[in-house]
Amino acid sequence: MSHASGEGRLIQVEDITRVFHVGGEEVRALRGVSFGISRGEWVAIIGQSGSGKSTMMNVLGCLDTPTSGRYMLNGKDVSRMTDDELAVIRNEEIGFIFQTFQLLPRETALANVELPLVYRGIPARQRRERAKAALDKVQLTHRMHHRPNELSGGQRQRVAIARALVAEPSMLLADEPTGNLDSATGEEIVRLFEQLHQAGHTLVLVTHEPKLAARCPRAIRLSDGQLVADGPGRDVALGVGAGAAVGGA
Amino acid sequence: MRAFLDNLRLALGTFLGNPLRSLLTLLGIVIGVATVITMMGLIEGLRTKVNRDMGRLGAHTFQLTKWPAGGFGRFNWAKFAKRPDIEMDDVRAIEQSCPSVGVVAPADDEGGQKLATVNAETRPSVRVFGTTTTYPMTSGIAVQSGRYFNEVESLDGRHVALLGVDVADTLFPGIDPVGFEVRIKGRPFLVIGVLQRRGSFLGMVSMDNQAIIPLRVFQQLYGKSRSLDVDIQAKDPSLFRKAQDEVSNLMRRRRDVKPDEASDFELHTNESVTASFNQLSQVITIAGVGVCLLSLVVGGIGILNIMLVSVMERTREIGVRKALGARRRRILGQFATEAVLLALLGGTLGVGLGFGLVFLGDWMVGFPMSVPPWAVALALTMSCGVGLLFGIYPAARAAKLDPVEAMRTD
Repeated sequence: MSHASGEGRLIQVEDITRVFHVGGEEVRALRGVSFGISRGEWVAIIGQSGSGKSTMMNVLGCLDTPTSGRYMLNGKDVSRMTDDELAVIRNEEIGFIFQTFQLLPRETALANVELPLVYRGIPARQRRERAKAALDKVQLTHRMHHRPNELSGGQRQRVAIARALVAEPSMLLADEPTGNLDSATGEEIVRLFEQLHQAGHTLVLVTHEPKLAARCPRAIRLSDGQLVADGPGRDVALGVGAGAAVGGA
Repeated sequence: MRAFLDNLRLALGTFLGNPLRSLLTLLGIVIGVATVITMMGLIEGLRTKVNRDMGRLGAHTFQLTKWPAGGFGRFNWAKFAKRPDIEMDDVRAIEQSCPSVGVVAPADDEGGQKLATVNAETRPSVRVFGTTTTYPMTSGIAVQSGRYFNEVESLDGRHVALLGVDVADTLFPGIDPVGFEVRIKGRPFLVIGVLQRRGSFLGMVSMDNQAIIPLRVFQQLYGKSRSLDVDIQAKDPSLFRKAQDEVSNLMRRRRDVKPDEASDFELHTNESVTASFNQLSQVITIAGVGVCLLSLVVGGIGILNIMLVSVMERTREIGVRKALGARRRRILGQFATEAVLLALLGGTLGVGLGFGLVFLGDWMVGFPMSVPPWAVALALTMSCGVGLLFGIYPAARAAKLDPVEAMRTD
């Protein structure tokens, strides 16, 4: 069993700080953030640019490690892991959905979706089957042999979502997933997230758009590297409702 | 293994995505490998030919000469020129006082001679040999039609000649020249025989472009004060070494060579001539490998360059791969495989080009070249090594990239 304070929670961050050194100057991007996310939750992390939400996203995604504090992910302390150990955690635990899709331009949609399974060491035939199944979930099997430049923005993001789903990670981590899409297509993607949420996936969505955060059952607001609000998405995003704001530090 | 196959597929994809650039990059390696393959083919061809053609001397026969063999080594001509000539007196002494020696055949020759009949003449490139009746026994020549000259003709200095096939064909196209007259150095000679075809030496100098006349006549025509080459055959194969020792000792005695001084004459066997050539070919081989290494280094720098560019162009891709769970070793493997594959491809093209040149040479100058398999293996191994050596740095750079930074680049 995991540490007492993180018990039963998929994600438990405790007093996380992240300090960057830029040209001799100290930039404190995160200044002691703590929260937990349970399995099956859909949480938005919201904040202005410079609020530390990108740094938070990198830490949650195991792309970066905190300067101090502890990050428990699925019962494992990932805050002091090496580069290669983190790579394994990313592969097994996290499905990334990026604002700019981050598909490999030279590979087909199917090959892009297969990629996480390649690094998990799954045989090619099995990879193909699972990638097809994942593309089926986002209704893109008819486009699977196309390269990203032959797909529309919405289709590309759906390929990225299929790629995030294919390895059955414990959480999906989306960074401004609708940021590069028109509103109609964005809406399509949000609907897809709703479906995934209903299907039981854990979703963490990093965004600066209050409208998007308002659709999430829960939202966390960061400002100046600190957690300033944690509550129902509507309340935190639109800044209404009592009790939404956490007492400032 | 699965990872390796994936890497191989990716590497092929990169190559096919930009074939022209890849080929240009590989030019250094291609040229280097092609050079070495051609060179090795040339040397191997030479070696085969030399081993065959140098076997001119008959069984258990060696040669006594003033000059060192073949002219392959570096030597000091002035030093050898001071040596005393080998004369008929020496020949007679060997015949009389070397019990292990069977047959002795002195010979002298002059190149660049023009032979003529009333109707035709050769180019001034015929080699005229003056020798004795024992020459067919020591030299392995044989008569195709007519006969060799006899003892009387030899001692009398009769103007009789045997022609090489090429000379016969030029002067007497389509007919048997036996019984006809040719002019050598303006003097009339009766053709008494035609020699069997011997082919060409090293594919360049025809050994059929010659004529043989009695030594006595030769000395009248070309002068006596020239050193003789003496073919000496042991009585029996088991006496081969002993005969050489006897001749050597006799010559040293005759010339008062002190025990601690080197001999002032040369004894050649087929083996010693071949050995001196093999020594030379070894030097060329080492030089060839050196040249190859040098151009491989140049090619390697090309690979280094293209791989650095490739890593830079694909920074974003590397970031995505790392984000999705690729470990450092995997990225390292991917780019190292790509570099090795590129180099190996260059090596293979080089081998192909080399073989092409070898066959072209074969076809154009009729020079039989053959590429030894070890040269191909060596060239390909070295290509792989170069790919790995020069690919590992860019690959390590790729492996160390930070995924967040990498995904941010365009």
